Amino acid sequence: MEDFLVGLAPPIIRGILLGGLYVVIALGLSLVFGVMKLINVGHGDLVILGSYFAFAAMGWWGIDPFLSLVMGVPLFFAFGFFVQKFIINRTFRISLDAALIACFGISIIVQSLCQAIWTPFARSLTTPYQLQTFAVGPVTISLRYLLDFIGGLAVMLALREFLRRTYLGKAISAASQNKTVAQRMGINPSRVYSFAFAIAMACAAVAGVLQGLTFYFTPVSGPPFLIISFGVIIIGGLGSMAGTFIGGMIFGLTQTLGAHLSGGSMLVQMISAYLLVFIVLSVRPQGIFGR
Amino acid sequence: MLETAVLSVDRVNKRFGGIVAVKDMTFEVQAGEVLGLMGPNGAGKTTLLNLIAGVYRPDSGRVLFQGKDITRCAPHKTCHLGIARTYQIPQPFTHLSVRDNLLVTATYGSKKGDTFELDEILDLVDLSKQKGMIAGDLATISLKKLELARALASDPTLILLDEVAAGSTDAEIPRILDITKQVRKMGKTIILVEHVMKVMVEAVDRIVVMDKGEKIAEGTPGEVMKDEKVLAAYFG
Amino acid sequence: MKIPRLTTLVSVAVLVVLALFPVIGIPLTWLNYLFLFFIYLALANMWNLLAGYSGLICLCPHAFVGLAGYTLAIGTWVGVPFQVGLIAGAVVAALFALLISYPVFRMRGIYFAIGTLILPEVLRVWFSFWRPVGNIYQGMGAGYSVTGVAGVTLGDTYWLGLAIAVASIFLVHIILRTRLGLGLKAIRDNENTAASGGVNVFQVKLYSFLIAAFIMGIAGAAYYIYSPRINPVGGFSIRWLLMPLMATVIGGEGIEEGPIIGAAIVTFLTFQLAPYGAWSLFIQGVILIAVVLVVPQGIAGFLRQVGAYRFPLKLFQAAEGKIHKNLK
Repeated sequence: MEDFLVGLAPPIIRGILLGGLYVVIALGLSLVFGVMKLINVGHGDLVILGSYFAFAAMGWWGIDPFLSLVMGVPLFFAFGFFVQKFIINRTFRISLDAALIACFGISIIVQSLCQAIWTPFARSLTTPYQLQTFAVGPVTISLRYLLDFIGGLAVMLALREFLRRTYLGKAISAASQNKTVAQRMGINPSRVYSFAFAIAMACAAVAGVLQGLTFYFTPVSGPPFLIISFGVIIIGGLGSMAGTFIGGMIFGLTQTLGAHLSGGSMLVQMISAYLLVFIVLSVRPQGIFGR
Repeated sequence: MLETAVLSVDRVNKRFGGIVAVKDMTFEVQAGEVLGLMGPNGAGKTTLLNLIAGVYRPDSGRVLFQGKDITRCAPHKTCHLGIARTYQIPQPFTHLSVRDNLLVTATYGSKKGDTFELDEILDLVDLSKQKGMIAGDLATISLKKLELARALASDPTLILLDEVAAGSTDAEIPRILDITKQVRKMGKTIILVEHVMKVMVEAVDRIVVMDKGEKIAEGTPGEVMKDEKVLAAYFG
Repeated sequence: MKIPRLTTLVSVAVLVVLALFPVIGIPLTWLNYLFLFFIYLALANMWNLLAGYSGLICLCPHAFVGLAGYTLAIGTWVGVPFQVGLIAGAVVAALFALLISYPVFRMRGIYFAIGTLILPEVLRVWFSFWRPVGNIYQGMGAGYSVTGVAGVTLGDTYWLGLAIAVASIFLVHIILRTRLGLGLKAIRDNENTAASGGVNVFQVKLYSFLIAAFIMGIAGAAYYIYSPRINPVGGFSIRWLLMPLMATVIGGEGIEEGPIIGAAIVTFLTFQLAPYGAWSLFIQGVILIAVVLVVPQGIAGFLRQVGAYRFPLKLFQAAEGKIHKNLK
């Protein structure tokens, strides 16, 4: 029994660290959902696009993925701004369903673009430090999992400070809580939406790098991350950053513990997260922390 | 409990999170009666209607309709049993025609399924000319009439009217009063939530006054209007 | 003698002509083209039934298609002839829909969309690992070939596809004119009002969901008779969602003839863009977004708006009038 409990320590630690990755991935989705009540079903694919961008940067210019973010973040930011401005904002005037379909279109476009350029072959961001591990007491920790956790924490805190301290951040918060009042205060909701989506895309770029270091990816790796991110924000409850963080941990743990307890079954590992989201959706969509 | 009571609300309680919406509510409605439900904003009137119609389930207490316990019944069930309701802000089937709006409740809500009566109902609420129009294109006043028509189409025994006169001009109020009286003549029992005093006083037999979820007065319009607690609730 | 309406006569004439195609020596490429059109049409009609008429944006057609296809394929390995497997596949898809209906209908709007999206993802993973019969398919992952269909000609599958497509059109046509159709439209417009008006929302949604699952299943199984190899990636491919979605959006949601126009365009695009590999889906995604922005009501919606039907309709009515006069 004792052995069993002690044996749980590594997967628990791994799960918590891995949770950081899911937090970063979910943050972009959460921001867009919170501000414009839209679930971008292409979000997972955009994160994978971020992974492919870093991959390309490594392949063409030989630069480290984190360094490629110097280019990647502004590029994704601009891309997000224009997508929101010229496409999604327009669909809002038509109907909410139109926005959903447009996002689905983006998902298809991104998936097929990645497939056309980089083939369906599985890729990974292989760096010299990627597979490094080190020991903390009796436990071995992978560097990339630790980077996921640090990344998750860092992006989350940066975003929180941004929303609280900067004018744009406060405008975004205001518009997400009450559009009409924000409008009367002189805030242009459409512009705010464009910036919000842009920031979400910037987060996706970072998430893409972290994801690419942690897992192998293909052009169709997007939807699983979409589903997990959705699960994270549902469990964490909308509008709660702490909730999102805990949500990420929960999904990280679900995967690592699922793998551990099932003797390394890939089937369990992959399906357990999906089932968790499904159950939460049908039982308590407002989440554990939500309003 | 009297034999003739169509509806009996028995110590019903409902809270949402920390807020008590309805507290210890008890009253009865007799067959053929028009009962008014009054109270300042936030008193819990619409919540009470929702509890009767089955949209919400009481935390405790019972709702009895014609002797049957409908406390745990879903909204479509209460409709089948004979309770119809209108919404404060009209909720039509926006893409369907006016007549089709009625057809839905007539087909699904009533036991008879008679559709020729629909034209009579439309006539009663002055919507005959618009029967082919798409509901989404109607003016607000017509939408309110449509609410009532839709409720009547399910051939109910009890109708819950939620502010059917709100937003009407002074010129339209006599017509609304008239329609209410005609519905009563059809043998229906009515619970009327209304802020427009003229309608309330002239259309109802008795009034139940609510404040902060509780019943604070019950009686004829004359009695209730003089009640201290009622005056205090409205005017502080 | 009662003269049937001209529109009915024209429809029947078109049907007869289409049915004769395999017999009168139409080139095989046409038959392939039309078969795919029939399958896409059946899927699109069902997607339109759910999304356009019931307000249920369901992102799981590929669950139904894949399940039916696998039922068919595995069936042929355990001695179930494909003719039975065809129906069995549809039944399994409908049973699956029944199984998930209770949790899934607790979800509304976007939650419903994502909730239904999860299902095919789960199934794809499941069928990547679950291998009840047969040996490992040569190097292709957990796929199955559909056995026993060697004698089936392209003409046979063509007729099967035609029958399914016609059945789907007929089904939608009838449903819209019955009680069920009225209930679906009411739910789409205002679910709460429908419930307070006596509509058992869960039951009505369930009926349309089961019907859609069955037809999507049978269409999917028919496809895998035509192309008798299934694997997890192909069977549960997002294409089976994209094609009916595109067809419905391009053709016109909530309009009866929408899926017909949309499926025709989608089939045309699929074939024309096939040489471009992955770029084909790219272009289709761009077209989808363009249509949603420029013609959100779809082509059929647009045609109705500009009264494009008025002229042919007048011709029809004039012709009908003349025929009636001459026969008097």
